[in-house]
Amino acid sequence: MSECSAMKESMPLLLTESLDPARREQSHQHIEACAACSEAWLSYQQTWVILGDLPEVEVPPRIREAFLSKAGIAQAKNENVIAFRRKPVFKWLAQAAAIAVIAGGGYFAGHTRAPRIESSPATIDGVALARQGDFRPISLVETRQLDANALSPEIEGRPNITNVQFVDSDASDDQIGVSFDITSRWTVTGNPRERSMIRLLSYMLENEAAVSPRSNALEWVRQTYSDPANADPEIANALARVLRNDTHEGVRIRAVETLTTLPPAVASDTRDALINALKNDPNPAVRLKAVEALANMARSGSAIDPALIDTLRQKASQDDENLYVRVKAAEVLSSMNP
Amino acid sequence: MTASKATEAREMSHLSDQELMHIVQGGDFSPASVIYDRYSGRIYNFAFRFLKNAEAAEDATQEVFVKMLRHANQFHGDAKLSTWLFSITANWCRDYLRKADNKSKETEDVLVSLPAPSELAPDRTYEQRENERLVRRALEALTAEQREAILLSRYQGLSYAEIAQIAGCSEGAVKTRVFRAMETLKKVLAGEAGGGERCLNAAQ
Repeated sequence: MSECSAMKESMPLLLTESLDPARREQSHQHIEACAACSEAWLSYQQTWVILGDLPEVEVPPRIREAFLSKAGIAQAKNENVIAFRRKPVFKWLAQAAAIAVIAGGGYFAGHTRAPRIESSPATIDGVALARQGDFRPISLVETRQLDANALSPEIEGRPNITNVQFVDSDASDDQIGVSFDITSRWTVTGNPRERSMIRLLSYMLENEAAVSPRSNALEWVRQTYSDPANADPEIANALARVLRNDTHEGVRIRAVETLTTLPPAVASDTRDALINALKNDPNPAVRLKAVEALANMARSGSAIDPALIDTLRQKASQDDENLYVRVKAAEVLSSMNP
Repeated sequence: MTASKATEAREMSHLSDQELMHIVQGGDFSPASVIYDRYSGRIYNFAFRFLKNAEAAEDATQEVFVKMLRHANQFHGDAKLSTWLFSITANWCRDYLRKADNKSKETEDVLVSLPAPSELAPDRTYEQRENERLVRRALEALTAEQREAILLSRYQGLSYAEIAQIAGCSEGAVKTRVFRAMETLKKVLAGEAGGGERCLNAAQ
């Protein structure tokens, strides 16, 4: 490698002043004496400075809240564990039973079909049974009470067990209990027009904790419910609630985009949600999206009504409104010529 | 926050990273907010620039600090806490990009990219906004490895040894990545600005 090539490779280190003093001095001497390296050095310095034009982004406060909430849960988890009052006589039995119960929980999470337990009111067979006409609706949220000997000792699927509590309601008998929450994975299939499916999707839109999956859920809803055959006001209402309540402006923007793809059959629900966002959303980017969406609806002739015109007039003349939103509102009014 | 918690946090803010982590390792998560306040800005900005996606950066930031608590015992005092946190962040980001690569283009489009902060910041001049746009585009021209290295070097001020530890490679590899990144950035910034003069001079 020539001296100049080596010099160029070291220039980033020179920029960060990471070279030792001797090499730094040597490098500067070379740069002063070499026209090509001098030009390259100037170019490096300029690039380095321009990179500084990328401003620091403020961290949304909701991340802190979400994190501390999770940290709080983690602490609560420790506090929730009630110290088990050991009975020396049954110590070995207690350990064996606890392992069996937790292992059995693993069996639940690792299998798509839960074992049939007499004392449990629900099984995952419910989905298949519904298709066969032997309809027995199951609840996604349930509390099971099981005998330890009904569970397999095999642990499969690496279940996530939380909120463990040891229960010993009667110290005089030889029975102990352990309660815990355990995650299990569900796949629910059905026609997009089925009420259960619509409710499930609506719930997920509003309750998925992470942002990316919420955004993915919106895209999934857009793909499925933009089909006129699947038009459903409940989906429009769920999207309206996301637009009204979601803390993340990116998700709300996606909700606007999804609402605008819904079929004309639910246009009035869509329009109301967009007007509400235009009036009340705290983020100008969301309001801008909403006014653009309303403009598109107005152009297609499906959304013009006095409420919309009033809102647009108010926005166009509102002094403290974002300039882009005001201009867009005025443009829409002008194109509508009411 | 209650008064006692506020007092507790104020008192803890005087403790070193190592001391705070020692408390966490003992099962007491009360320093979580202090550590978060100390590093969330750097973590979020690194993830945002690395992933070019605000939502993913939010998820990354939250996950990093949750992992910090969950795996506190894996932190050894011989490394800086910032280096350890950036390691977790970089791993999360690489994993995210790998998954995004595996998904179809359609799925990638699902992710909402928020407007760049400058778009809605009236206090920034046109020139600043234009330079910001150019820099963002130039960073997109880098490979993930190069972007990771330049972000940690230029914006986080980490040494090549620390970056090597985070990226799981040698210092020599970091040097090469940063050099190649700088070469690409120079070319892209010059090309983007219609001959380069406007952009480069704007920074002088």
